[in-house]
Amino acid sequence: MSEKELGRKWDCCLADCAAKIGAGLGLGIVFSVVFFKRRTWPIAFGTGAGLGMSYSNCQNDLRSHYLLYNNIPKKE
Amino acid sequence: MAAKILPVVKLATKVTIAGGAIYVAYDSGLLGSSEEGSVVLGKAKAAIPPAVDEWMKYFGLELPTPPKIDFSPLQAWNSGVQKSIHALSVAPTRAGEYTSQGLQYVKDLTK
Repeated sequence: MSEKELGRKWDCCLADCAAKIGAGLGLGIVFSVVFFKRRTWPIAFGTGAGLGMSYSNCQNDLRSHYLLYNNIPKKE
Repeated sequence: MAAKILPVVKLATKVTIAGGAIYVAYDSGLLGSSEEGSVVLGKAKAAIPPAVDEWMKYFGLELPTPPKIDFSPLQAWNSGVQKSIHALSVAPTRAGEYTSQGLQYVKDLTK
């Protein structure tokens, strides 16, 4: 992977991390207020889920360069 | 009759609000891949200043303009890394030079 591509992927990863943590936080707050009587745990759960999703996305993105057979042509 | 329907209506409202929030998150691409996430972040960053301006006009307040900071953390970090690694790479040579200089000084003293 070239340096430029790696840098671009890391930038994407960090932006995605921020977006997903924010989304998880927001959804956690909505669920906490609407369903769970303003307890704290849905907020923590949502934030953690967002962080986990972004980590998993990053992992797949950075590994995709080294995958063999990620472009298998379909047999017609 | 109304007392019996009210809990159902409340539950339906709550489910609608929660479902709407999830749908908005899904639709804006917040739950997708890295590229979609960074696109959403870019859109949000671009949409903040007009929104802040509108709210300020609505409330009649004036936010003080943030001072322009000329400091780029990226530049600082990169130059820091380069300087540290350069120092590490010349360290053995410099150490050798200083040792020989020190030995020479001591020899001159003992002459």
